[in-house]
Amino acid sequence: MDNNFLVIENISKSFGDNKVLENINLNISKSEFFGLLGSSGSGKTTLLRILGGFEKPDTGRVILDGTDITNLEPFERPLNYMFQSYALFPHLNVFNNLAFGIKENFTQKEIEINVRNIAELLSIEHLLNRRIKQLSGGEQQRVALGRCLIKKPKLLLLDEPLAALDKKLRSKTQLELTTLQKKLKITFVFVTHDQEEAMSLSDRMAIMKNGLILECSSPEEIYENPKSLYTANFIGIANIIEIYKKDENFYSDDLCINFKLNKELKNTKTNILLRPEKIKIQSKNNLKTSSFNSFSGEILEKSYLGSFTRYEIKIKNMIISVLDQNFNSNSNYNFPKGEKVICSWESESIKVLED
Amino acid sequence: MKNRLFEKYFVFSPYFWLVLFFFIPLAIIFKISISISEWGMPPYQDIFLFDDGFKINTTFENYVYIFSDYYYIGSFVNSLILALISTFFCLLIGFPLAFYIATSNIRLRNILLVLVVIPFWSSFLLRVYAWKIILQNNGILNVTLLNLGITSEPLQLLYNQYAVIMGIVYTYLPLMILPLYGYLNKFDLNLIEASKDLGLNRIKTFFKVILPLSVPGIVAGSLLVFIPVVGEFIIPEMLGGSDRLYYGKILWEEFFVNRNWPGASALAFSGIIILVLPIVIFQILYSRWSQKNEI
Repeated sequence: MDNNFLVIENISKSFGDNKVLENINLNISKSEFFGLLGSSGSGKTTLLRILGGFEKPDTGRVILDGTDITNLEPFERPLNYMFQSYALFPHLNVFNNLAFGIKENFTQKEIEINVRNIAELLSIEHLLNRRIKQLSGGEQQRVALGRCLIKKPKLLLLDEPLAALDKKLRSKTQLELTTLQKKLKITFVFVTHDQEEAMSLSDRMAIMKNGLILECSSPEEIYENPKSLYTANFIGIANIIEIYKKDENFYSDDLCINFKLNKELKNTKTNILLRPEKIKIQSKNNLKTSSFNSFSGEILEKSYLGSFTRYEIKIKNMIISVLDQNFNSNSNYNFPKGEKVICSWESESIKVLED
Repeated sequence: MKNRLFEKYFVFSPYFWLVLFFFIPLAIIFKISISISEWGMPPYQDIFLFDDGFKINTTFENYVYIFSDYYYIGSFVNSLILALISTFFCLLIGFPLAFYIATSNIRLRNILLVLVVIPFWSSFLLRVYAWKIILQNNGILNVTLLNLGITSEPLQLLYNQYAVIMGIVYTYLPLMILPLYGYLNKFDLNLIEASKDLGLNRIKTFFKVILPLSVPGIVAGSLLVFIPVVGEFIIPEMLGGSDRLYYGKILWEEFFVNRNWPGASALAFSGIIILVLPIVIFQILYSRWSQKNEI
C-alpha cells in the first residue's frame, strides 16, 4: 500500500505565545480511515484545519498524493471538510446544499444525476426538497457528508463527525460510516475526543496531547501495548501499578505482592499496566493464593453492566478495577460486596509502560 | 377586576402610542391639507362651518395644485434619488465595516462599536457644520491640496449635490452599520469556510452565502437610512446648492416662507402616502418571502 498518500511533515503552529502544534509528522495511506484522538486543547482540530487549508502552519509541509498543498487556498484543494456543526446552508434546501460544490462545473442534468446518486447512497432521496431546519441531527449529518462526497474528494476530513448525535444513533452511524468508507475507498481523517469512537472507526489512530503525537498505531496495538502512561490511562480502563526490582522478581509496595515478568526491565523502577478484563477473579474458597501474579482482596464496589460486571477491589492501599464477563445467567455467579476474592493474571498480560 | 382589565388592555399600549403620536397628527395634517387657505392665524379656514346651517368647507385643490406642478413632484423625485444613492453608499461602506466588526475579537469589537456610536454624542448640526469648514474654498481640504501643489486653484467642493450625498452618507452611516452588525454578529463563520471548502472563491462565497444570508440586516439598515433621508432638510440646506431642490426644503418653504399651510400639509401627506405605501407592501412581501425561506 502507498504509505505516502498524505504526508504531514514537521508541522508547527502557534497562536501568539501558545504553541498548539509542535513538529507533527504523520504518513497516512490511501483509503485509510485515520483517527486523531485527544482531549480538548491537544491541537487535533488545528491539525485538521491545517489540512483543510483554514489555518496556515508556521513551519512544515502537507503533501497530498504527491502534490504540495501547504499554500493552497481551501477552494483549490482536492479534499473536503465536514464541520462539527455541519455548517449546512440554511437558505438552501437539501438538494441545493448537496449541489452547492458542483454547480460551477456541471450542467443542470449532470447536477441532477449526481445529487440523486449521492442521495441514494446515503438514503436521503426523500429529503431533497426539505429545508435544513426541518431535518433531524442524523439527517443533517448525512447531508453534510453527501455535500462533501459529491465532490469525489481525494481526502475527506471530519471534525467530530458523530459528536452531535445521540448515543443510539451514534453507534448505528459509526457502522454506516466505516461501511461507506470501505465502499468508496476515500481516505478519511477524522478528529474525536471520544476514545470509543476512535477505536471503532479507525484503521490507525494517533493519540495527541499538548500539540504532540504521543503514539500512532492500530487501535488494538494502542489498547494492548500502549507505550506511555498517558495513553494507557486515556484509552479504556487502566490499572497502573508502580513496581521495582527486588531480588529475582519485581515487587509493588502498594499491593505488597510479587510480579513475574517475561521481559527484562531497563530501569529498576517502572509503571506497569494491567487491563481490567485480563484479571481473573475467583472465590477465595477455591484456591490458595499463589505467591506470584495474584492477590487476594475485598470487593469494595460492584456495578452490573449487562455483559460485564465491574468490580473495584481493594487490596492494601490500592483499588484495582476488574471487568468480569457474565458467562452464566445464574445471578449467584456475581460476587457480592465485601466478599474476599482472589485475582490472578497471566504474566503476558502485564504491559510495561516506557514513560 | 380592575387589575384584570388593566392586564387585558396593557398589550394594546403600543397601539395607543401609535394612535397618539402617529395617526392623530396624520389626521390633523390631512384635515389642514383639505382646508381652504386664507390670511390669518391659523392661515386656513375651518372645514366645518356652522354660520348659517352646517356646511362642509373642504377642497382638494391643494392636491391638484401639487401634482400639476413639476416643481413639487420633481423635488420629491430628487429626494427619492438622493435617498437611493445615499442608501447605496451607506451599504457599500457599512457592510464591510459591519462584517469586520462582527468577525473581530471581542475586545476590538467593543472598541469599534464605541467608535461607530461616538458621533452621536456631539450635535448633529455641529458635525454637518464641521464638514462645511472642511470643504469650503479656503477650508482645510482645499488649503492642503493647494499647498501640496495637487491643484492650482480651490475646488468647488461645497454647495452641490455631491456634498449633500457625502454629508448624508457620513451622518447616516451608523444607522446602517448597527442593524447590519446586529445581524452579522450571529453569522456562522463555518458557513464561509464550508463554501470555500466546496470550491467557491471569496467573491463567489460572498454572493452565494454571505449576501443571501445578510438580507434581513441589509433590509433593516436600508430602511433606517432611506426613510429619514427622503425628508432630510438640514443637510441639503447646509451643504447643498441651488443645483437641486429637495422635498424637505420645499416643505419647509411652503410652511414657513409662503405660509401656505394647506399646501404644505397636502405635500407632507402625499409624501407620507407615497413613501409609506410601497414600504408597507414591501414589508408584507418580504416577511412572506423570509418565512418561506426561513431566514
